[in-house]
Amino acid sequence: MAPTHDPQLLKGVLSLLLLRLLAERESYGYDIVQRLRALGLSDISEGSVYPALARLEREGRVQTRLVASRSGPARKYYRPTAAGTRALAEGTTSWLSLVAVVHPVLVRRPPDPPTSPEDT
Amino acid sequence: MATPHATLDRLRIERVVWTMDTRLQDLPRRSRIARRRELRDNLRAAAEDVGVGRAVDQLGDLRILAAGYLAAEYGELSRRPSWTAAAVTIFLVEAVMTLLDYATRAAFDAGITTTTPHATGTFHWTGVPYLISDGTFTYLDGTHTSDGGAWTPLVYVLMFAGAFTAGRMWRLISAWRRQRHQTPLAVAEAEKEKSGGRA
Repeated sequence: MAPTHDPQLLKGVLSLLLLRLLAERESYGYDIVQRLRALGLSDISEGSVYPALARLEREGRVQTRLVASRSGPARKYYRPTAAGTRALAEGTTSWLSLVAVVHPVLVRRPPDPPTSPEDT
Repeated sequence: MATPHATLDRLRIERVVWTMDTRLQDLPRRSRIARRRELRDNLRAAAEDVGVGRAVDQLGDLRILAAGYLAAEYGELSRRPSWTAAAVTIFLVEAVMTLLDYATRAAFDAGITTTTPHATGTFHWTGVPYLISDGTFTYLDGTHTSDGGAWTPLVYVLMFAGAFTAGRMWRLISAWRRQRHQTPLAVAEAEKEKSGGRA
């Protein structure tokens, strides 16, 4: 089945989505994948979410804590740092301004296809 | 007691976890262990949800996942450390030095036995400047034993400096430094990892 969302487009905003979801509620890796799927990103790969979380952690935008789990070893929960919250605010502003420019263009009624002289 | 089915499921998860671990050899040890544990936990959570087979499938291509983790650690374009390149460099230096050692000893021996086929006595070999120290060849009726001729410290310096350079190991130093300045929560997590739990 073809993916319903362009992975390249998604890649650009995945960090923002992760920061936003984690700001709402701290989560562990698989939990956040499920939350993204529940939002409609049903084809999102865990293989793209886990490294994105690792990158956010390395950049100091999220911090982690281990929470004891009944099903096995302690579970690693992520939540945004102050830097992550700032990055989320800046990224959201930037995304919304981009959408404000791109969206009206893309939803315009497409022009009629050009006609060749033979058709007339 | 675990059922055979549960054991099989655990083995499938472990196979994925350790496959990933081998692909993440270039990460600093602590970071690799943390990734391994997290992946295992996420896979178990996913397996409870959708079954092991689907949980493993949902991870996608493990090579892509590993590349993602490496890019997360070192950046997309930066040259990453490579234990393989370092090992190959050490092996190459060993191989070249072994060949050089063999060739120069054989040449010295040929020089002696060509002029005196049934040589008897002790001969001093000067070795190879800077690389192989001098030695002594003791002949008895044309056959010899030898002492000395060890590789100099410079060879080992070259070997490890070459491995450090070829393997881009300075990247590991910066990663280790970064880990030393991690957030208090991450430090607590690392200490927890060190103090207990399974790897």
